[in-house]
Amino acid sequence: MISREICQRVLRKAVSTGADYAEIFAENTVNHTINMIASKVDSINDTVIAGAAVRVYKGLRSVMATTVDTTESGLLACAEKAAEALGQGTAQIDIVLKERLFGDIHPVKVCPVSVENKEKVAILKEGYFAAREYDPCIAQVRGTLLDVDHNILIASTEGLYAQDRQIRTRMMIDAVAEKNGETQTGGCRPGRRMGLEMFETISPKATGEHAAKQAVTMVSAGYCPAGVMPVAIDNGFGGVIFHEACGHSLEASSVAYGRSQFAGKLGEKIANEKVTAIDDGTIPNAWGSINIDDEGTPAQKNVLIEKGVLKSYMIDKFNGRRMGMASTGNSRRQSYAYTPTSRMTNTYIAPGEDKNEDIIASIEYGLYAKEMGGGSVNPVTGEFNFSVNEGYIVRNGKICEPVRGASLVGKGSEIIQNIDMVGTQLDMGQGMCGSSSGSVPTNVGQPLIRVSQITVGGR
Amino acid sequence: MDFNTFKNTVIAKCAELGIADYELYYQAAESTSVSAFQHEINQFTGSTEGGVCFRCIVGGKMGYASTEELSEAAAAAIVARAADNASVLEAEEPVFLGEGGKTYAPVKDTGVTMPATDALIAKVLATQEQIYAANPAVIDGSSTQGIAERSEIAIYNSKGLDLHSETTLTGLVVAAVVTDGKEMANDYQIKLGKLEDIDTEALTKKAAETALGKLGGDVAPTGQYPVVFDPEAMSDLLATFSGIFSAENAQKGLSKLAGKEGTAIASEAVTLVDDPFHPQSPMPQSFDAEGTPAYTKNVIEKGQFKTLLHNLKTAAVAGVETTGNASKAGYASPVGIRPFTFYIAPGEITEEELLAKAGNGVYINSLGGLHAGANPVSGDFSLQSAGFMIENGKKTTAVKSFTVAGNFYDVLKNITAAASNLELPGMASYGSPSVLVEGLSIAGK
Repeated sequence: MISREICQRVLRKAVSTGADYAEIFAENTVNHTINMIASKVDSINDTVIAGAAVRVYKGLRSVMATTVDTTESGLLACAEKAAEALGQGTAQIDIVLKERLFGDIHPVKVCPVSVENKEKVAILKEGYFAAREYDPCIAQVRGTLLDVDHNILIASTEGLYAQDRQIRTRMMIDAVAEKNGETQTGGCRPGRRMGLEMFETISPKATGEHAAKQAVTMVSAGYCPAGVMPVAIDNGFGGVIFHEACGHSLEASSVAYGRSQFAGKLGEKIANEKVTAIDDGTIPNAWGSINIDDEGTPAQKNVLIEKGVLKSYMIDKFNGRRMGMASTGNSRRQSYAYTPTSRMTNTYIAPGEDKNEDIIASIEYGLYAKEMGGGSVNPVTGEFNFSVNEGYIVRNGKICEPVRGASLVGKGSEIIQNIDMVGTQLDMGQGMCGSSSGSVPTNVGQPLIRVSQITVGGR
Repeated sequence: MDFNTFKNTVIAKCAELGIADYELYYQAAESTSVSAFQHEINQFTGSTEGGVCFRCIVGGKMGYASTEELSEAAAAAIVARAADNASVLEAEEPVFLGEGGKTYAPVKDTGVTMPATDALIAKVLATQEQIYAANPAVIDGSSTQGIAERSEIAIYNSKGLDLHSETTLTGLVVAAVVTDGKEMANDYQIKLGKLEDIDTEALTKKAAETALGKLGGDVAPTGQYPVVFDPEAMSDLLATFSGIFSAENAQKGLSKLAGKEGTAIASEAVTLVDDPFHPQSPMPQSFDAEGTPAYTKNVIEKGQFKTLLHNLKTAAVAGVETTGNASKAGYASPVGIRPFTFYIAPGEITEEELLAKAGNGVYINSLGGLHAGANPVSGDFSLQSAGFMIENGKKTTAVKSFTVAGNFYDVLKNITAAASNLELPGMASYGSPSVLVEGLSIAGK
């Protein structure tokens, strides 16, 4: 992309007014999305994102300028803009860039950009029609096959010059079931940091069937009753509860500013001792994995909570300055146009020792959330809200009828105290997490867990 | 390479490949954002961005490709990619390139210009001091952000369309974090407009007071209640479900409003307006993303459903005229449908009178988790809420950490009254007065 020599000259310009750190982030990304609806290939989005950002720090101040002109003159102009905005001063730093190779722990066998549309359409159709033909009450299906080829280059005044190529593939099938004038939806959205070989292990057919089955189950379900009750949340995307209820409040972007329910609590017991939670960007080929983060720090496995005790936050370089702590390899951005900040990668509750059957059997009356939808949180207060995509009433320790329209609300600091049973089978689900630095791919995960009591919204 | 040179390169490439029907949609923006934390500026961002979306009709299908890189090679590549993408499409609906209109309503100059960086910084720092002064409970996590953006759109196509528009918007975002020593609460307020016209004292006060209102508070009792949504909460709900008014969703079986034109879908208290020229809109538009002239319309008039929102394709499928609501989520997105400034028209009674009508119920001024707790297809929602109890027609105890559940299609029918206090919060894309809705489920303690 951009040579070491050019980067050196641009960084020199960037620190010319006295910055103590400067960084170039350049990107060339191909996003390719094939969409189906009404049983036809309906549209293809095919976009090249290309540009660069120059960031400079001075103490606790940061300035970023971005440009779509990645020629040397364009980058120099961008660096000058950043330097000028920082203020007046003189350069104090010598810059010698050394290329660093971090390697790639996420092998890709079939690069999506090298595969013709026809072949991708065939894969998508397999998933699409598995949903469409699942049941006569399936009224509509939307299907998407997306692939991303994200090439980044990072050079900084710390001497770093590194590149990474991040390839991701995902299939998303959403089914609508209709019965007696009622409609309900079901979805399945697996993704990997892989090429199209992902579909050797993830069956498109099973993906479509999963989405359709959920829609069909829910269209016959009654509304979930409201109240405070114990809830068992299953593995996979159920991990969204930790992601929202706690994960965001452990990001330096909240903690550094004192805007988090968990600020200043390192070493304290903040969760039930059954809870060990981890953010791990190094899981080979996992959706949220990276080799290096968007500031060039290698990805790490960070234990956030160990047996209920807060061990670590997720930290980027800039917020790390305010906290006096090193980066944990969690700096991420959607693209060069966003200022990076601390974000999650693959975040999960580690397996415990409770058997699934014991967890369900322990509930006299409550909810079994087989599959969660999305959620959101206010990191300041920890108040969260999740939707349950597929839920069942539990009566006398047995899973009974399905219920629709349930949501779970509460406070992060309370719910992690109330996770009092943790199963043995970890599984992860894929999502796109939106925050100030844009939308980034993240995995959420957990085994089956029991929350002893939580407010269930329903009617 | 600038857009004009790029455009000419694309035109030449299309001629070479024999592509007769094509369009270029160009969007570019220059923006500045400044944030203050504690008593100084901690972040500054200056961005220039832009890209081109090319689409062409090949074999009766519309292929798209986009790029941010404006070069000769990129121009050749997007033409080839779009043509290739068109070749695998199967949708049978007709495809169109806009021919535009004879006349376009003039857009009133908002008078907003890009501020000098120094002026923006000074405004942000002064506002940041006001947030501390607003209330002693305001603590150091509070911050203020100033934003300014100048953006332009150009549409050029082989049907002779050649349109250009430019808008500039500026505004302030105030984030107040407050504490009572036991817990923290926060609130954001956004105000767009000329920086010198923004009443920062009122803005910071509102942020601090709203945040304070969230401290303490009970969990609402579970049950069925009449609910009053304040303008912001109702605007959020309308925004979440605005997709049901899209003809594209209706034609794809993703909205229950298909075929309901001319029937009552809401109570007589509901009139829903789409206005591209609303005086509060920071980006008034005289044309949509297909170049069709934009105009003001009632989507619901006293409960009667007048029209779905259309673009050229959905209008052709339905055999009606487009309503000029073609839109693109970003320059690279395919043409879809969305309203301009979409609001529920105000009624004639005050909010106090509305509360009196409610009698005993719940007043909701904050809804959370809208992207997760609401199903835009079925209309079902179950959302985290905060507000006040209404007792004997008056707001009483603050309540929070409860959910309100219902179905948006039913809400439209069960709005028994709208107050006169229309507001268009945030970006002024959606708006509503306070409304009274009968019979919603509250889940709390």
